[in-house]
Amino acid sequence: MKISILSKMLLFFSPIIFLCACEKNSVSNNGAAQTGKGGSITRFTIAKNYLYVVSNHFLNVYSLSDPAKPRQVHTSDLNYDIETIYPYGNYLFLGTRTGLYIYSIDTASSPSLIGEAKHARSCDPVVVNDSVAFVTLKSSSGCGPAEAGLYIHDIADINHPVLKKTIPLPDPMGLGIQDSILYVCCGSAGMKVFNVKDPYSPTLISTQADGKYLDVIPYNGILICNDEEGIILYDIHDPAKPALIKKIS
Amino acid sequence: MKIKYSGIGPLLLPFALKSEKALTGFFFKINCMKYLSFIFLMILISSCWKINIHPDYGPVPKVWGNKPVFAAVDAAKKILYDPVKHSLINAGNIYVFKNTIFQVDVGRGIHVIDNSVPSDAHRIGFITINGCEQVSIRGSYLYTNSYTDLVTIDISDPVNMKIVNTIPNAFPDMWISYPMFEPEESGYYECNAFRTDSVVVGWVKDSIPQGCYKN
Repeated sequence: MKISILSKMLLFFSPIIFLCACEKNSVSNNGAAQTGKGGSITRFTIAKNYLYVVSNHFLNVYSLSDPAKPRQVHTSDLNYDIETIYPYGNYLFLGTRTGLYIYSIDTASSPSLIGEAKHARSCDPVVVNDSVAFVTLKSSSGCGPAEAGLYIHDIADINHPVLKKTIPLPDPMGLGIQDSILYVCCGSAGMKVFNVKDPYSPTLISTQADGKYLDVIPYNGILICNDEEGIILYDIHDPAKPALIKKIS
Repeated sequence: MKIKYSGIGPLLLPFALKSEKALTGFFFKINCMKYLSFIFLMILISSCWKINIHPDYGPVPKVWGNKPVFAAVDAAKKILYDPVKHSLINAGNIYVFKNTIFQVDVGRGIHVIDNSVPSDAHRIGFITINGCEQVSIRGSYLYTNSYTDLVTIDISDPVNMKIVNTIPNAFPDMWISYPMFEPEESGYYECNAFRTDSVVVGWVKDSIPQGCYKN
């Protein structure tokens, strides 16, 4: 009897717990100071109390203990051309010209390299969901001979990412994930909407063709798309069915 | 017919041949390739003669292309908020903070978009930041770059945004890839030499000496 009441209570509260989790994911709180959310193509990111900046060959770490005056606390000299940085949980994912590199920020002031997948010459951005890393690769950006497309890595063992699936796509750029729906920007070829519930065999749901898509940010039920001519907003309360709200140009 | 290359030939051949198959070893099943490579070599050598032996070999031909517009460092790095809509030229990174969307206009600055009512979202202003490419925000502070500097802007009063901190040359290795370093369109452009006193703030069409080329 007690157990069933408990389980009912759990059932009742679980959506609330879920909501709280979402809240924390979308906007990480640090006392009064809130952090925003960036796209998948970026060289700046804020995690914990630090600003991480990837320049061509360096991972620079700035302490934000005095937020007005970032103070450099660490620099890693990396031997490869870095393009993007993406934070997820306790990790930073670096998309570089020679592969995907994973850094632990357990010690936030000095990230340490813990994993790499060199076979994917992943010039372009990375997004991560649980134990899966989605990477896009543009073949036209001088990143080597690999085929343009979506590269899906199993990162359950964070030290040894394994490439599980490749989907050829025309010129993919930024990407974003909401629940089990993945949005991949393919410039003038549209935005591909994938169901990645089974991450290693994604199914294409639709292709949105309202602009030239460069990057996306899923944010509080809205999908913010970076378009060559401005910004395109979609309602994604049902993530599988983006509904056009507004084009800003 | 098999041709065995010896001496310096095999080392120079890669420059003459683009086909990857031809690079598989020192033995090639080719007939006319050696003549082709010979011609290529002659062109290479004759072009060297022109450079080394006749340094004053006529004036560089003029072409129609892009010419850099320089501004003094102090003027170029001024940050200014204009509370009116600007049109987007070269879409860069995007960032969202509460009800505001920020969209970088590569090399020029950041568009500010009010998203409090998504169906009525619109640009409300523009922050001029020459050499800008990145944006990230925590609390009242926006972090961005102006060329190779790391800049902190206090955005708590949007109409009176102000720079509160600059770390000069924080990312020296980004120098050759700062947004305005090359023109955005392809074609000839006047090669950009390193200057300490000024930076490129834009490009204009002009008759220029045939120099650099952007694909």
